[in-house]
Amino acid sequence: MEIPYTVKPRPDTGLYNAKLGIWLFLASEVMLFGALFSSYVLLRVGAEPGTWSMGLMDLLVGAGNTMVLIASSMFVVLAWAELKQGNLAGYKKWKWATIACAVLFLFVKWGYEWPSKFKHYDVWLNNATVLQEKFDEGYHEVASHGDHGDAAHGADVEKYVKKIYTTRFFKEESKDSQLAFDDAWRNGTLALSGHINAYEEAQIDVRITGWKADAGVSEDAADEALVKQLAKQDTEDAAGLRLNGGYLREKTDYDTAKRAEYALGQAGFTVALSVAGYKRVEAHPWMWRTKRATEDIGGKPRVSSIVFELDYSHHKGIITLDAGDIKRLSAYEPKHSTFFGIYYTITGLHAAHVFGGILIMLYNMLPIGLGLWHRDREQFTNRIESFGLFWHFVDLVWIFLFPILYIL
Amino acid sequence: MSDSHDSPTIPDLIKKFYFVGGVLVVGTIITFVIDIMFALPLALAAVLGLLIALVKASFVVAIFMHYKWDKKLIWITWTMVLTFFFFAGMMGLIMWAEGDVPKLDSALAISTGTNEMPTIWIILASLLGVALPASFTVFTVKMLSQPAPVEAAAPKARRTAKKKS
Repeated sequence: MEIPYTVKPRPDTGLYNAKLGIWLFLASEVMLFGALFSSYVLLRVGAEPGTWSMGLMDLLVGAGNTMVLIASSMFVVLAWAELKQGNLAGYKKWKWATIACAVLFLFVKWGYEWPSKFKHYDVWLNNATVLQEKFDEGYHEVASHGDHGDAAHGADVEKYVKKIYTTRFFKEESKDSQLAFDDAWRNGTLALSGHINAYEEAQIDVRITGWKADAGVSEDAADEALVKQLAKQDTEDAAGLRLNGGYLREKTDYDTAKRAEYALGQAGFTVALSVAGYKRVEAHPWMWRTKRATEDIGGKPRVSSIVFELDYSHHKGIITLDAGDIKRLSAYEPKHSTFFGIYYTITGLHAAHVFGGILIMLYNMLPIGLGLWHRDREQFTNRIESFGLFWHFVDLVWIFLFPILYIL
Repeated sequence: MSDSHDSPTIPDLIKKFYFVGGVLVVGTIITFVIDIMFALPLALAAVLGLLIALVKASFVVAIFMHYKWDKKLIWITWTMVLTFFFFAGMMGLIMWAEGDVPKLDSALAISTGTNEMPTIWIILASLLGVALPASFTVFTVKMLSQPAPVEAAAPKARRTAKKKS
């Protein structure tokens, strides 16, 4: 079956079919992104003062990525112009340039912007006094700016924290920002922002405290399950452990301990986990949530303390946070706040469009896609024009996203 | 652009493409500079930022997407006009609900001498919210049920026959 009007315009619409199709698709896209944009505005306007972290966005990266996308939008239309003139080599040149720009855009987004946020944390404490002590400890050196000879304390630190807070949530100081900050400072609802440099991770003892013969598991099967969890696989040890109880593993890691607890629980054992001690781990962990640090293991937290490097402290504000003081801990991931929720939704949907575009462009560069050029040049040119319309739309969305996300 | 009537030649077009590229780059730089150099209130920054974005977007649609030469084609125009209305209606409703328009010293408040929103506005706004997607649906259905093009006589006859039965 031959598809009609791939080259000639259909008399009643005045367009070749693919072009009308792509415009209709773009119309549906306008409504899709329009719904998200208006949701963003709704959430932005309705946000409580001091909850919209727009000051965290790196404007330079945003502007750079805008330029990259603008360039790609221009290259794609130049590729089409080359085809119009019958120049396949010119088309390939511009198309590769477009693909390179699109890949660069996604690389910046998925390789730098997002991952750096997943390692960046806010920590809320459950005590205003402790919070102020931590601010003092972390910022007393940088807050002084050398004006005071010695390091600054108290009011100077408060001023420094206020500046960071205002830039992040309000950009400029105003009556609203003043009120919101005073409130948050007094009530201790401010977050400590920065990176986790190291932490004290629990070393866990796994102890067998009993075995229920009536749990529906045979002795042999229970011993077999036990052997699997032993460090040294020895059947005699297993029988002894089952009858008398005792330590299965000592100072093991969380995953091993939890796995043993679950598997042995299935085999009718009762298992007790306890923290034998803590081992320091030097790492910048990804995507931690509150429970990852504070989970209770036999009465002690999984992480006893966190070595936290505060933002804007020029690497001097390194403080230690006890797990007991932590109310909430979250990386800058979607669940962090409404702001990051809508931020990842919109930029994620846009990035998915860019990714899809790259796949289509690659198809149109491969022999299978180029085959059409050799069969019907005009149809291929139209196909590239239709793709170009989609690609310009992706650029258009970003043109609006840039001021909304990075500036407002 | 097999379907355009008075479109420029390709070399002319390429010149225009470079010009638009320049406009987009300059627009981005202006946005960037305004944001870091001047301490603008949020509302003004929003208006300026979106205005520049709108100018950039118009150039992309007009030149890159050849809309300048396709706009006589009523299909595209209506499709896009309706989606724009849809978007405007959606934004309008949100601003109405969230922005507390009457509480500001707006022209409305001054002209009516009251700080309360007249009920008719609220009714009109909700009607707009229903009417816009509805009109888009009607338009799409109408467009898709158009008879096949004139040149083929036989399918047309079949279609009319179907309608009668």
